[in-house]
Amino acid sequence: MISLFYENLKISLVAVFANKTKSLLTALGIIIGVLSVTLMGTLISGLDRSFESSMSWLGKDILYVSRYEWFSDMEWWEVKNRPRMRSEYVDKIKNLSKHALAVSPVMQRTASLSYEDKETRTEIFGTNEEYMETISTDLDLGRFFSLSEDRNGSRVTIIGYGLKEAFFGFENPIGKYIKIDNIKFRVIGVLEKQGKFLGLFSVDNQAILPLGAYNRIFSKRGWMRLSVKVPEQKIEDGYDEITGIMRQIRGLKPSEKSDFAINKTKAFEAQYNKLKLAIGGTGYFITLLSLIVGGIGIMNIMFVTVKERTREIGVRKAIGATNGMILSQFLMEAVTICFFAGLIGLLAAYIISLFINQVFPSTLPLGLSLFSIFISMFVGVVSGIVPAYKASKLDPIDALRYE
Amino acid sequence: MELIGLKDIYKIYNVGGEEVRALDGVDLKINNNEYMAIMGPSGSGKSTMMNMIGCLDSPSSGLYEFEGEKVHVMNDSQLASIRNRKIGFVFQTFNLLPKASALHNVEIPLVYANIKKEKRLKMASNALISVGLEDRMHHRPNELSGGQRQRVAIARALVNNPSIILADEPTGNLDSKSGHEIMKIFDDLHRNGNTIILVTHEDDIAKYSNRIVRLLDGKIVKDEIVVKN
Repeated sequence: MISLFYENLKISLVAVFANKTKSLLTALGIIIGVLSVTLMGTLISGLDRSFESSMSWLGKDILYVSRYEWFSDMEWWEVKNRPRMRSEYVDKIKNLSKHALAVSPVMQRTASLSYEDKETRTEIFGTNEEYMETISTDLDLGRFFSLSEDRNGSRVTIIGYGLKEAFFGFENPIGKYIKIDNIKFRVIGVLEKQGKFLGLFSVDNQAILPLGAYNRIFSKRGWMRLSVKVPEQKIEDGYDEITGIMRQIRGLKPSEKSDFAINKTKAFEAQYNKLKLAIGGTGYFITLLSLIVGGIGIMNIMFVTVKERTREIGVRKAIGATNGMILSQFLMEAVTICFFAGLIGLLAAYIISLFINQVFPSTLPLGLSLFSIFISMFVGVVSGIVPAYKASKLDPIDALRYE
Repeated sequence: MELIGLKDIYKIYNVGGEEVRALDGVDLKINNNEYMAIMGPSGSGKSTMMNMIGCLDSPSSGLYEFEGEKVHVMNDSQLASIRNRKIGFVFQTFNLLPKASALHNVEIPLVYANIKKEKRLKMASNALISVGLEDRMHHRPNELSGGQRQRVAIARALVNNPSIILADEPTGNLDSKSGHEIMKIFDDLHRNGNTIILVTHEDDIAKYSNRIVRLLDGKIVKDEIVVKN
């Protein structure tokens, strides 16, 4: 049986490679199918990975209180008319909440940063001394600012890793002064490297200032959110509690709607899963379609092959090939075409994934690669079985007479 | 010793509602090491006869025994197996696989007999040597002359040490010189103890045999011993 297997494999390889253009055109559907399923997998794996790391950056145990609801379809003017967040809320929440472990206000805007002759525009954050507890990043160097530094409006800053590299290189930045909108700030800490958020923008180029200094220099107006850290398993209780406290602060009657939003990373997850489903669904649809088209192509070409080689089938039967041996020969040929088609599709997907990787980190998942090869061979079996069966059932006498 | 026994063999086709008796009650015995020619005009049933003897076809009725095995009750796989083990075919149009070398062509019956690679190569090259093609083993059919192609086909028929060699107009596509060379090979094979059954309509070729069976309308009309001078 092993001899027969090798013989069939050899016949298949000869048949496939003797007519490369024909084989390639035949296999195009399968190639596209494998390409789309593996690329989709690559995309999703990349999204998953950057989503995971971005989510850990956001923190699963953090409630984000602001005017805006993430992914909501509220009208902008409705949001705009809501009252702003205020830094006074921080102490109120701390006093009233059982679950809150840390509360920090965050203001954000872009500013021009410079050090010696280097200059860049980037995001700056104004916050309080508890900020570090509400993010999942640690300090790489130095320290965070203290409560008193915040209260005094001390001009100190903690810079992102990317900013440190850009401004200082291998120099120690601690104690050096950088200018933020032309006002000197002393660098007291550096955040560790974080990478890109959702693969979109880098969070390594930020500078964090005490809110006291931020407010004095950049005015109190502007966008603010509160980050409230609660125990991760208490996130739902925390949500209810903070909602109650915020309603109390705002003096809302039970009949009135909340004029603020409390966001959880779950909102991101739900949104992300929708996106993933859309990509996956489209990918699977394209894959299915091209595999069906490809399979029909293979079946068609196998019928032609069987017809062309009718005489050969007759000869093989005359010299002792059983029906099963003929069946396996043609089945093997269909599977071989599909196997190479799968391989080509995979190779193309791999090359394209290298380009995708330039845009955001992703890899071709190994399991999916093997699976796609398996699927294309499966298509080979399904589309090859009928022509192969037809070949096996040919009458040797008729086949030998076939011109 | 009796090799093949056909008893009361009928092969009846239904063509457009009309009954055609390709073989109409044939009785025939073929002994070991016979050299027999089957002759007859076209439509006489000689092709059907050859297919029957070659186990490519089953009779509509009648008994066919091949070395004691009952061929008339065999299924497709059993027929394939008996063809593989006991019958070597030589066709008028050679019927070699165009993309395979001479050696590989000869090897194929051994693949179907599930013989191991090394042994296969040895048997196939011996068969090619025995037909005088030791220096053409790796040529493809299109690189060989007609006579050489037919010799490859003979080697392929011989390679399994079959009980009979069944040749259907083996010289039909050859010039007379190559034809006679091929017939000489059959002579040698016969001398070495092989049983050969030849289907031909040429008296010239039939004369090589020792026995001529003549068919007409599916019936054996003459069964004579050839007297060689």
